[in-house]
Amino acid sequence: MALLKVNSLKKYFPVKKGFMTAPALLKAVDGIDLSLDEDRVFALVGESGCGKSTVARLIVRLLPPTSGEVLFQGKNVFELSGDNLKAFRKSVQIIFQDPFSSLNPRKSILDTIAEPLKIHRIVEKIRIKDKVVELLNKVGLGSDILNRYPHEFSGGQRQRICIARSLAVSPKVIVADEPLSALDVSIQAQILNLLQELKREYRISFFFISHALKVVHYFSDSIGVMYLGKIVEHAKTEDLFREPFHPYTEILLSSAPTIIVQSDKDVRSRNLKLRTDMGEVPSPIDIPPGCPFHPRCPKKFEPCDNIIPELKETDGRLVSCHLF
Amino acid sequence: MSLLTLRSLHIFFRSTSGSIKVVSDLNLEIEAAEVFGLVGESGCGKTLTALSIMGILPQNAFAEGEIIFRDNNLLTLDRESMRRLRGKELSMIFQEPATSLNPVLTVGYQVAEVLTTHMDISKKEAMNTAIELLKAVKIPSPEIRIKEYPHQLSGGMKQRVMIAMAIACKPSLLIADEPTTALDVTIQAQILELIQRLREDMRMAVLLITHDLGIIAENAQRVAIMYAGRLMELADVYELFNNPGHPYTIGLLESLPEEKGKPLKPIPGFVPEPDRLPLGCKFSDRCRFALPECNEKEPELIPLSIASNKSNPPSPPFAKGGQEGINHLPPTTRHSSLHLVRCIRASEILWRS
Repeated sequence: MALLKVNSLKKYFPVKKGFMTAPALLKAVDGIDLSLDEDRVFALVGESGCGKSTVARLIVRLLPPTSGEVLFQGKNVFELSGDNLKAFRKSVQIIFQDPFSSLNPRKSILDTIAEPLKIHRIVEKIRIKDKVVELLNKVGLGSDILNRYPHEFSGGQRQRICIARSLAVSPKVIVADEPLSALDVSIQAQILNLLQELKREYRISFFFISHALKVVHYFSDSIGVMYLGKIVEHAKTEDLFREPFHPYTEILLSSAPTIIVQSDKDVRSRNLKLRTDMGEVPSPIDIPPGCPFHPRCPKKFEPCDNIIPELKETDGRLVSCHLF
Repeated sequence: MSLLTLRSLHIFFRSTSGSIKVVSDLNLEIEAAEVFGLVGESGCGKTLTALSIMGILPQNAFAEGEIIFRDNNLLTLDRESMRRLRGKELSMIFQEPATSLNPVLTVGYQVAEVLTTHMDISKKEAMNTAIELLKAVKIPSPEIRIKEYPHQLSGGMKQRVMIAMAIACKPSLLIADEPTTALDVTIQAQILELIQRLREDMRMAVLLITHDLGIIAENAQRVAIMYAGRLMELADVYELFNNPGHPYTIGLLESLPEEKGKPLKPIPGFVPEPDRLPLGCKFSDRCRFALPECNEKEPELIPLSIASNKSNPPSPPFAKGGQEGINHLPPTTRHSSLHLVRCIRASEILWRS
């Protein structure tokens, strides 16, 4: 059974256009369905503004939805309250992109990591310090940093502290919203290894949001490709990277720069051919009629500009395109 | 004769306890119309190098050495001559297009300002040229866009405006400092394609600064790898990716995810602060190939072929093109085949072995 399930989830934000006019609706998330199984990594990819971070915030109940539900172990998280809500918060944790703004600058590292331990009464008071040290060791940091403050650390170290904080409550799911993109290449690899170790050791499932396709390919089991608030393709990672079906996925994958070693030369020339100057993402306030991708799509044909394609099953994956 | 030559360039920051060296003994040459890639992690000094070429180092920093551009040493040039070069012969685009444009002036005004500053043309002519330039960087309906303000444009469009300003006077060198880091991959591909096309059309050299090895692989002809303010390796792009010589370069390549499930081999530790660098080789504390002598003496930047041939004494450090240097080298190390590495074990290290 799926650990976490998202059913026709929608989130619209009202945007004031001017005085005396009714606010327009920004459809950040426009009816998506997802599921995350135990011990798996689900990745959500897409360009900025496609709504992937909003999905992350909805899943951990940092935002109320416009409609739809998020089920965690069969229960709708938006209906939880009291102890049930607290238990949910303990099971589902989030790591943010920017480790600089997600740590309280006035709290020492000890206090930062001790806070969830106190709130959820994980260990007895006298054992808190030991537990914090244990967590820091887990993420590759030492006990010497307990009384230091966030500003003394580099981005990679801060991200480790954030990970230690989320591990404090032994979560079942970690929602990771671009956890690597603020970090340098060599540090990215360190953090990615760490996440993988944690996954193996604690069987944590990840809801992983990223625009770094190489990382997604490496780390995830299945992928949802998002475009203007909708999932346009949902497939197993291997299938998607072997052969993307949706024209948007195809362009997205071909846009990522590759390093040439001799064997990859064919990949390069194929990618260059696929890359088209398709302009920019339209505003999510004025989503084009029909298929939202049609104004940028090199393969558009007659029905694309007036009929919205449904997300249908094709060859063991879901695609929303009239070609399939 | 190269377009731009950096000769023993040092950059320092002034601090209360004296000055701290952040870029040390940088030697390199950039040829006309080539794309030269400069790679390194944050804090390695790549942006400071760019700022020193443009003569816009922050107040608390200063440079020593020589930056030769068309027979002029930019470091000794007076302010007025430097001002005439900047924006005309040398131009630069930055990582954050959002903060590089003036929010209270229209896009058209900002592009036209470059033209009226450096050329003897009227405001009206400048505006018309600005429209042409926006067209050249593929901004749709430029006649309308020139009247808009930066906040009305998307990140990709702002970067296109920055490029339009940078190429307005047909510079011979464009410095692009992480030009696509703030942009999505699809937009990134478009912007890089645009830079390449303009480079070919205008025969302009590009100094492409980035931390993304994929971007370098696809866009540059030659690459320099920087670490802790030093040039660690310099080679032709194909050579660098197929036969990397420096452990740091190898570490960067191995940090990239490749095979699923296979653990990555990240570089351990983190970049040291510029005032706490190791004594010998600056990478020695993170290097898995390090020997005891690596901690004692900093290795020189020498050709890989000489590093492999132990009987030859190492020649003094220099980068591509220095005529005096090249003459006493074996013919195979000339020009694009020149591969310099700052590591005493470069010849023993074989990648993927």
